[in-house]
Amino acid sequence: MKLRHRVQVKPHEMVVVGDVAQMIATDDQLLEKIKQLPVYQIQPHDKNIVIIDVMHVIDTIVRSEKTVDVQTIGPAQTIVEVVYEKKRVSFLSFLFVWLLLFIGSALAIMNFHEDVSMKEMHQHLYTMITGEKTEKPLLFQIPYSFGLGIGMILYFNHLFRKRLNEEPSPLEVEMFNYQQSLDQYVILHENKESMKRIDDD
Amino acid sequence: MTTIEVAFVAIVGFAGGLAAGTGFVAFLVVLGVIPRLTQLTKTMKWIHAYEWSAVAGAVIGGWMSLRSSVLGASKYWLLPLGMFSGVFIGMLAAALTEVLNVWPILAKRMGMADKVILLLMAIVFGKVFGALFYWIYFVEGK
Repeated sequence: MKLRHRVQVKPHEMVVVGDVAQMIATDDQLLEKIKQLPVYQIQPHDKNIVIIDVMHVIDTIVRSEKTVDVQTIGPAQTIVEVVYEKKRVSFLSFLFVWLLLFIGSALAIMNFHEDVSMKEMHQHLYTMITGEKTEKPLLFQIPYSFGLGIGMILYFNHLFRKRLNEEPSPLEVEMFNYQQSLDQYVILHENKESMKRIDDD
Repeated sequence: MTTIEVAFVAIVGFAGGLAAGTGFVAFLVVLGVIPRLTQLTKTMKWIHAYEWSAVAGAVIGGWMSLRSSVLGASKYWLLPLGMFSGVFIGMLAAALTEVLNVWPILAKRMGMADKVILLLMAIVFGKVFGALFYWIYFVEGK
């Protein structure tokens, strides 16, 4: 038997052994029977995450089939995610965040230019290359501004929707890491089995 | 100047350069722009050449700006130069949002995981717009 890392269920659903675990057995009939054994009834107060420990699953199996021998591999608990009716993010709030980021980053880049005296630097550079003086070296600054956007897109490896190559972008890796840390947290903090041990101390 | 004075100034200058140089390298390493570029272009074996290009760029740039040297070249050289420096700063800016962990929080908390690309575009356009606005209008107004 191998527990799945993460499963999604609907609210008020009965979680059965087959939901949380992949299993192999020589007796197909027995296997089907075990897969239908109830492990946990999702309750409203569970909110959206329930941790099912491997011990609990073995307990369920052994109670109903006294003679079976259960061997486990893989993760020691499954994260059961209760998926409620997906509430759609309204277009208005999305627009709000979009504008927030747009204006915020525009201001941030202006502050950055001011902060590092980019203007003087560009004027200096213009003189360095051409030998002439100018107040506004736009010939340098306009490609610079577009390059700024290109650099960010390059870094995140997205040309709008098209990928430049197949490696995951830093953004995706970052999202993955964050999800891993969240999972790690809920496994320790929402697991009733390990909580008990802490309480005993 | 006496020899001691000369030696002292040289040591102070050298020490200052050393500190600035190590700081620059640390900055590049933390933001991981060079690994990202090699990963994109699949040129891992040239990584040492990239190191040297960063070092050479810093040394030549530092020397030229301090000496106020003049090349007297055509002004159209500024077009590719501007583009390159823009891409570089853009990558630094992107790497900075990366280090600050803005994205995962934004996507998770606001429930907008499927719209991350669009939000990313908001930042990209914001940067381009902000920079153009700054150079063309804002600078003059001051």
